[in-house]
Amino acid sequence: MNQDDKQTLLRLQNIHKSFPGVHALNDVTMSVLPGEIHGLLGENGAGKSTLMKILNGVYRADSGNIVWQGNAIEIHSPQDAQRNGISMIHQELALVGYLDAGKNIFLGREPGGIIPGTINWGRMYADAGRIVDELGLAIDVRRPVRFFSLAQQQMIEVAKALSLEARLIIMDEPTSSLTDREVETLFSQMRALRDRGVSIIFISHRLEEIFAICDRVTVLRDGAWVATSPIADLTTDTLIKYMVGREVDQIFEPRTGSISGQVILEVKDLNRGDRVKNITFQLRQGEILGIAGLVGAGRTETLETIFGAHPASSGIIRVNGEQVRIRRPDQAIKQGIGFVTEDRKGQGLFPAMTVAINIAITRLAELVRAVLVNRGAVNTLAEDFIARLDIRTPSAQQKVQNLSGGNQQKVIISRWMTLNPRVLMLDEPTRGIDVGAKHEIYRLMRQLASEGVGIIMVSSELPEILGVSDRVLVMHEGRIAGEFNPQHATQDDLMTAATGMVQEGFRL
Amino acid sequence: MRKTLTLVLVIMMALLSVVVTTAQDAPTIGLSVSTLNNPFFVTLVEGAQAAADAAGAELIVLDAQDDSATEAANIEDLIAQGVDAILVNPTDSDAIVPSILAANDAGIPIFTVDRSAAGGEVVSHVASDNVAGGMLAAQFLCDALGGAGKVVELEGIPGTSAARDRGAGFNAYMSQSCTGVEVVARQTANFNRAEGLTVFENILQAQDTINGVFAHNDEMILGAIEAATAAGREGITFVGFDAVDDAVAAVNNGTLAATVAQQPALIGQLGVEAAITYLGGGEVVANVPVALSLVTAQ
Amino acid sequence: MTSHVRDLSWQVVVGGMLRRGIVLIVLVGLMTYFASQSDRFFQSRNLVNILEQNAALMIVTVGMTLTMLIAGIDLSVGSVAALAGAISAGLIVNNGFSFEVSVVVTLALGFAIGLLNGGLIIWGKLPPFIATLAMLGIGRGLTLLYTEGRPISLNGVDQYTFYGRGDVTLPVFGQTPVSVLVALAVVMIVSVILSATRFGLHIYAIGGSEETARLAGVPVTRVKMIVYGSSGMLAALGGMLLTARLFSAQPQAAVGMELDAIAAAVLGGVSLFGGVGNVIGAVTGGLLIGVLSNGMNLLRLASFLQQMIQGTVLVVAVAIDMIIKRIEGV
Repeated sequence: MNQDDKQTLLRLQNIHKSFPGVHALNDVTMSVLPGEIHGLLGENGAGKSTLMKILNGVYRADSGNIVWQGNAIEIHSPQDAQRNGISMIHQELALVGYLDAGKNIFLGREPGGIIPGTINWGRMYADAGRIVDELGLAIDVRRPVRFFSLAQQQMIEVAKALSLEARLIIMDEPTSSLTDREVETLFSQMRALRDRGVSIIFISHRLEEIFAICDRVTVLRDGAWVATSPIADLTTDTLIKYMVGREVDQIFEPRTGSISGQVILEVKDLNRGDRVKNITFQLRQGEILGIAGLVGAGRTETLETIFGAHPASSGIIRVNGEQVRIRRPDQAIKQGIGFVTEDRKGQGLFPAMTVAINIAITRLAELVRAVLVNRGAVNTLAEDFIARLDIRTPSAQQKVQNLSGGNQQKVIISRWMTLNPRVLMLDEPTRGIDVGAKHEIYRLMRQLASEGVGIIMVSSELPEILGVSDRVLVMHEGRIAGEFNPQHATQDDLMTAATGMVQEGFRL
Repeated sequence: MRKTLTLVLVIMMALLSVVVTTAQDAPTIGLSVSTLNNPFFVTLVEGAQAAADAAGAELIVLDAQDDSATEAANIEDLIAQGVDAILVNPTDSDAIVPSILAANDAGIPIFTVDRSAAGGEVVSHVASDNVAGGMLAAQFLCDALGGAGKVVELEGIPGTSAARDRGAGFNAYMSQSCTGVEVVARQTANFNRAEGLTVFENILQAQDTINGVFAHNDEMILGAIEAATAAGREGITFVGFDAVDDAVAAVNNGTLAATVAQQPALIGQLGVEAAITYLGGGEVVANVPVALSLVTAQ
Repeated sequence: MTSHVRDLSWQVVVGGMLRRGIVLIVLVGLMTYFASQSDRFFQSRNLVNILEQNAALMIVTVGMTLTMLIAGIDLSVGSVAALAGAISAGLIVNNGFSFEVSVVVTLALGFAIGLLNGGLIIWGKLPPFIATLAMLGIGRGLTLLYTEGRPISLNGVDQYTFYGRGDVTLPVFGQTPVSVLVALAVVMIVSVILSATRFGLHIYAIGGSEETARLAGVPVTRVKMIVYGSSGMLAALGGMLLTARLFSAQPQAAVGMELDAIAAAVLGGVSLFGGVGNVIGAVTGGLLIGVLSNGMNLLRLASFLQQMIQGTVLVVAVAIDMIIKRIEGV
């Protein structure tokens, strides 16, 4: 045992792990210091989750050591990890929604009552209350967790980890479904934990979050360690370079210049409930229109209303100058309007079906021979898009659920492209997608625009909004609160409008 | 959504409000019937209703849906209502006993119709005898086959008394008085026409020679006739039980040789009449037999 | 001590109250209505009747509730009840065993069948619906095989029939049917287990999210096995009460009882998707069905109408549940 080991909380040494046909981790070494927030980065498939599963006892490493507080240990199960003081908070939260916070925190380790088998409820809630108080969470521990916000649920998971006296908490993309304000709250609580000496391994795809919260970062690529460095020594470009393995001059595609195409979609005084109020805007051919705003501002609802998923209560929609009636999605599709939803798995894909079918499904009616689906024609169509969009899949017959998020998104976009849409609306198109794939989605959007498609993109990531759009609308409480030229506007301008701090914001 | 819900609630309350008002001094008779999912018992209830109407009595009909526990509950409800007499058509002779004892305790006279009870005090039992009916069918089939041949028996729902009694009568006659006839297959088709069809299809596959078929009810025999017609098998004598309308029609057009006729309307009528006579202080015999007959083409 | 923040919104409070109270409100409303329409309804004899008529269903519903709480289901309860009734009667009448031995053997048999269900679900990886549907058929077949399709009469076996028709005199309540006491005891015991013990909490946790429970170290397999075993055992107990009540074991007893039990549980606020509900609610749901059928009998409603109304009540109850969910906004 050397001096270094004493200061290090955790050291993963020369970890190797293979799955049939894949060398998932190749000689990976990383260490975590006491009381630090350590970012773990890499594209999908880089080996982050395999490494964390080894640390959490889900997988066993083929070779290599886990040195914990100076001692080599073996971790056989998540319970084993917890006993050692290592807790993992999964992206899909592991909470029972119908049980209250106290029961969730102590589930599986309930303090016993006097009669064997019973629970000392008083002690349980007192302990739970103490832990959440220490975390600075103002919550009622007797309230079922389904009534809490996602950020609060994250913190309940943290409370659960603390009740296990965790010294290291692994947080896997904890911010992926949080609003910006919730992320801020979570970060301040994470910093408070760090100051108490708890270490955190933080996994995120959002680089700005990595810069905001992490002390040090480790980057993996293709199952191998690439770099470990204090965050202060890094720039966004170097980080991306580490992750993608090549120089990235720019994540965003250059704009093609001024948009002078004719107006292809016009929305006037569109209303639905209290989420969509008097929405009026125009979209030109070849234009990418960004819509920013806080979660709940009515952005998704606006797209849904235009698409007819929920009919408008009033308002006019014109396509190519002609007023159209859209009460159902099929009517929107007939007008050439496509909609890539935010929830890929639930609303966009048929996860257990093949890539080919997922691409061709809206065209199946034309791809039949006699009454049978013409498999050959389906595959030809699909393979064309697989090549054009560079969808990375072993074959068109692969089940789409086995693809990465970015490639799944390309499958959905392909499906709309088979219909030659005039307008394509994308809701959070790069959520949960890693940097390299994001870049490809942006390029694809720009390419579609240059072919004359009008594109509307809803996004919560302000750099994306500013980097990709030709024009930006900001929504606040169901209304359009501002319109901006992204080349002149700043993130602060957008946030000011999004939080309703100005009546109407413009920076054109 | 809210409108639909309101509508549903309104309909429910309206249905609940359909309350029959009671004439004060006319006797009230409860009739617990084993099932109304069978034309036989529906006809029985109609006969009973007609007799009650004629006598100015009120008849309360409760349906046990072929479940002994439901029937027990129904009879308790009748006792709670304080009816003057109860006519019971038991789902099962044994399971009805506690209910009859309860009525005895409450001092309410009990009459059984169609199926008897294995215990308790019953004023009078009104029925035609299923065992006798089974024998009647066996006798007809034996004569029609000239005392020799191969026959099939399609049984009713296992465990029901109708299936037990009809089968017992049929088999007793065959084994004692008609030894030349062999029962080559005996399978249940659950009193159901569709099952009668499939079960008999299977039997036709297995048996090269079949001279006659007896089914514990008409539904099954009508299914069997369809199976035989479809298979092109001729020369089979079919005998059913219950004389439902379809079966009588089949007898008339010659596909069905005979069906044992009970007279359900008469059973219901005689039951109610016995109860009214008893309530009026008159004498009733312990067993009121209702004649069985065989419906055949002349 | 720590200060607790109470931040329940009105939606949550109202939703919770409705979820817990709606079946009771409907039950009281229905009873008031029946009482106003028939002077016979509120006689103690009739009220006791209702409890007695539904004692077996209440016990079976408790078992069903347990399986539904872990996001499962047990369709075999009716068949298991019939089999248990037949075997318990057969052991006494045909084999000369004592009543006590018969009860113990039969309850053990019910538990074993439940464990078999659990095994098929856990290790056989069959959906609960399919595994217990298979057992529904097997159980009924075994019953017919064992009884040869004939009822087994218990006339004269007073020790047994006492549990179906007997009364004991209690202070305050007076004459009380034994079957009702048995049912109430079961309800109370299971209710305490669910609300106060670790095992109970683990049932809710598994129903809420089995994976989460597993990750938290809950012995998921053991809890599920015990739950299915208990459902089988309670079905057996219900079957014996039914047999005692009819003085005979019927091969066709309790046909469709699983559907009544599911309806009762759903009426009482137990979610078909697991994790939500309690036995008090479920049993109240069972009583609601019982009161409805008794009241409609007293009002002399035609039996076809009765079945329609029962179906309608179930639809309305589920609709109300969905409205509550909307009020809670979750």
